[in-house]
Amino acid sequence: MRRLACVCLVAAAVTAAGCATTMNVSSYVERGTDFTQFRTYDWGPADALPTGDPRLDDDPFFLDHFEGAIETAMAGKGYRLAERGMPDLLIHYHAAITPRIDINRLDSERGYCYDGDCRVRTIESETGTLVIDVVDSRTNKLIWRGWAQHGVVDILNNRDRMETRIDQAVARMLEELPSAQLGAN
Amino acid sequence: MTPRRLIPLAALFLTAALVAACAAINIGSFVERGFDMSVVRTFEWAPADHLATGDPRLDNNEFFQRYLKAAVERELMNRGIERVEAGMADVVVHYHASVTQRVDTAGADEKYGLCEDCRPSVFDAGTLTLDLVDAGTSRLVWRGWAERSIQGVLESQSQMERDVDAAVSLILARLPAPLRIAKR
Repeated sequence: MRRLACVCLVAAAVTAAGCATTMNVSSYVERGTDFTQFRTYDWGPADALPTGDPRLDDDPFFLDHFEGAIETAMAGKGYRLAERGMPDLLIHYHAAITPRIDINRLDSERGYCYDGDCRVRTIESETGTLVIDVVDSRTNKLIWRGWAQHGVVDILNNRDRMETRIDQAVARMLEELPSAQLGAN
Repeated sequence: MTPRRLIPLAALFLTAALVAACAAINIGSFVERGFDMSVVRTFEWAPADHLATGDPRLDNNEFFQRYLKAAVERELMNRGIERVEAGMADVVVHYHASVTQRVDTAGADEKYGLCEDCRPSVFDAGTLTLDLVDAGTSRLVWRGWAERSIQGVLESQSQMERDVDAAVSLILARLPAPLRIAKR
C-alpha cells in the first residue's frame, strides 16, 4: 500500500512537471523569400481574435513583456525597430488559451497507473499558444509565422514564471526566423 | 479452405479494415436536389471569414489559406470549372476549417480485441468544409467536407500541405458527375 502511495506521488509530480515543461514550437515560411532584403520592422495592428481567457485580455504586463522579448530576439536576428519611414516588415502577434483534456496520457506515455486498477483518468488543462506573424509591408503578405504552445496552469498567477516562459517561447520561435543578413545567426 | 484456417485470415482482414478506418479521412457531401450542376462553368472565392478555427495556429493562417485555395482551384480546373472575376461566376466557393478535440473510446478495438491497452484517448480532429453557393440565388447548392485526426499535422508545413491536397482531392471527387464531365 505504501508503495502504491509512493507511485501515485511520483506520478503526480511527473504530471505537474510534464504539463509544465513540454513546449511545442514550430513555424511556417513563404518559400523562396529572401530575408536578407529586410532590415527594419514595426508593430502591425492587433487582430480581433479573443485570447480565450479574460486574465490575458489587454494585460499590459503580458503585452509589454511579450513585445520586449520579441524586440530582443529580433535584434539578435539583425532586425531593428523602424524609427521613421516605412518599415520592411510588420509584426503581428496573438496569444490564446485553449482548454484541453487528456485521458491517461501519462499512463500510456510512461507505463504506469494512478491507482491499483488503472481506471480511466481525465485531466483538464489549459494550453497557451503564442503566435508571431511577420508580414512583408510592401506586399502586405504573410511571409513567416511562428508559434509556441505550452501548459499555462502554473504561470497565469505567477509573473516571474510568466516572464520566463514568454522569454523561452519567443527565443525558440524566433530561432526559426531567417536572419536579416547572412551569418547573423 | 477449412473454417479453422479461415479464422486467422478473417481476423487479418478485419484488423486491416479497422486500421484503415482509424487512419482514413471521413468524407461527406450534400447536394441541393434538382440543381443542375452541369451548368456550372465558373467560380469565384467568397471573402475569407475571420472566424476562430478552434486552433490558434490556424487562425488567419495565410499559408494554410493560400495553399488550400490553390489546391481547390487546381481541382476545379481539372473538372472544367474556371476561376473568374468577382461578379461573373456561376458559383461562389466558401471554405472553413475547424479543429476540435475528440475522445476515442477505443470501442472497436476493445470489441474486436485488437489492442493491448484498450483505453480511451484524445486527439485533435480537423474538419475542412467547402461550400458552393449559386451566385444567382445565393443558395447553397453543394457542401463537401473532410474530417480526420490532425495529430502532429500542423507542426509541419509540408505535412499540412500534403493533408490539404488529399482532403481537397477527396472532397471535390464527390461533386456530382455532370459537373465533372462538363464540356467548356
